[in-house]
Amino acid sequence: MKPISQMRSVVVAGIGITPWGAQGEQECYDIGSQAVFHVLQDAEMTWPDIQAVFCGSVYQGTGSGHQAIKEVGLSGIPIVNVENACSSGASAMRLAYQAVAAEIYDVVLAMGMEKMPRGPIPSTAFRPWELASGFNVQMANYANEAVAYMHETGASVEDFGRVTVKNRRNGAMNPNARFQVPVTLDEVLNSRMVATPLRLLHCCPLADGAAAVILCSPDKLKTRRRGITVAASVLTSAVYGEGIMMGGTLESLKYPAAEGITELSARQAYEAAACGPEEIDVVQAYDTMAPAELWDLEKLGFCAPGDAAGLLDDGIFDIDGRLPVNTDGGLMSRGHPLGATGLGQIYEIVLQLRGEAGPRQVPGARIGLAHAMGAGPNSAVTILKA
Amino acid sequence: MPHTNPQKIPLIQGFWSESTGDAASLRLIGNKCKACGEIFFPPRRRPWCIHCQQGALEEVSLGPRGKIATFSIVMQAPGGGFYKGTVPYAYGCVDLPEGVRVKALFAGADFDRLTVGQEVELVIDPLYQDDNGQDVVTFKFKPIEGQGGKP
Repeated sequence: MKPISQMRSVVVAGIGITPWGAQGEQECYDIGSQAVFHVLQDAEMTWPDIQAVFCGSVYQGTGSGHQAIKEVGLSGIPIVNVENACSSGASAMRLAYQAVAAEIYDVVLAMGMEKMPRGPIPSTAFRPWELASGFNVQMANYANEAVAYMHETGASVEDFGRVTVKNRRNGAMNPNARFQVPVTLDEVLNSRMVATPLRLLHCCPLADGAAAVILCSPDKLKTRRRGITVAASVLTSAVYGEGIMMGGTLESLKYPAAEGITELSARQAYEAAACGPEEIDVVQAYDTMAPAELWDLEKLGFCAPGDAAGLLDDGIFDIDGRLPVNTDGGLMSRGHPLGATGLGQIYEIVLQLRGEAGPRQVPGARIGLAHAMGAGPNSAVTILKA
Repeated sequence: MPHTNPQKIPLIQGFWSESTGDAASLRLIGNKCKACGEIFFPPRRRPWCIHCQQGALEEVSLGPRGKIATFSIVMQAPGGGFYKGTVPYAYGCVDLPEGVRVKALFAGADFDRLTVGQEVELVIDPLYQDDNGQDVVTFKFKPIEGQGGKP
């Protein structure tokens, strides 16, 4: 593999997003094209500038990216649809990044869009006997891991609830979030039980929405605004011996993994970006379920295993804390349009590094990290530098 | 065929056996790699060890006892309509003494007896009734009386 230091540098030319939430009658392709118009405007580019498209989605059917792009322009360029579960948007980002870094294209659009089915996600990436046994309830798969995590670290459901409270507080400052109203710890702990020990407000809501970025070589920037550098864009899948139940793997008791996929993707990303976790100013962690944010921060190297709950309680992960996490409210407030989520995280990091995040701005943020997990399992880590 | 009762239809073939036709002989069927010793359940569809990359798997019997590694009680029906059993229901992971973690449903409705470390034993238990009124059964684990559990 070619070292990243020998590849062309890639910058974010523009970012686009739609409001995330229940979009009623609006069709997915129109939501997607709305994000494309937004990103073109932000990058001060027009459709003929775009040389290739990677579009993440999960439930939108065959060739869905093409349908969204038809509402913008028909220029004969390659459009590739990317289905990689909840990391689809982040995977589209990585493909776009690679295409520019490898000097195949100079200007590439990565987008993600989703119009979600209502109710719990009907995850079907399981064997028929597992589906018939009810093993495809992702909240329950996370709940299983949460019980093991509580047993190992002493974390409590109250700790998980504090993740929701923090993220919903941040989401109240995000005009694109599905939920823009804070919740109290009591409200979380009294919400309906979904899969013990996790309750409804420990789960992220679904949402319809889209997000997009344009990546380019530095010489192709059209705005006077400085481009944000993509310092790393990494994707990993299952490693032998690690148990990630939402991705259908169980821990090997004889040969447990020495390094899990999140740790592996983080290590590769830090190496590519030539920085360590201590240099990161703002983080988008993967809070699809509240406890996951805690173990995510540990696996990404921001603290030792079992320490995240205490640091959360100390306010370290608040917007005015030492390491702000999920400044836009995370999946918990933003909602989870599967194909768009990874790019929604990247949208927020770019906004923070530009200093354009308004009331939720982290002062002086220079380096940001976004982490998107997905069934598979997948782990995608992106590091951006101002 | 371990199942001679026409009223009971196994959810899937080849996952368990009752060598003498009674519950005491009930075991899960898994694989052991002759090269690295790794244990697999469910039995692998191809005789291939995904740990050491050798084609050296043999069939082994697993269980019938194990310990709960983790679990959750699911309070709402899964999406997609694939699951036709009762709700709430419980599933989780059981560690078997042969050295393998197994994902399984827990039998019974006495969910208070489910705790991490609780000793459990293998049972064949109804999952749902099919359109002809026949029980579709599958392997589950049941807490062993008087062993662990909440006081």
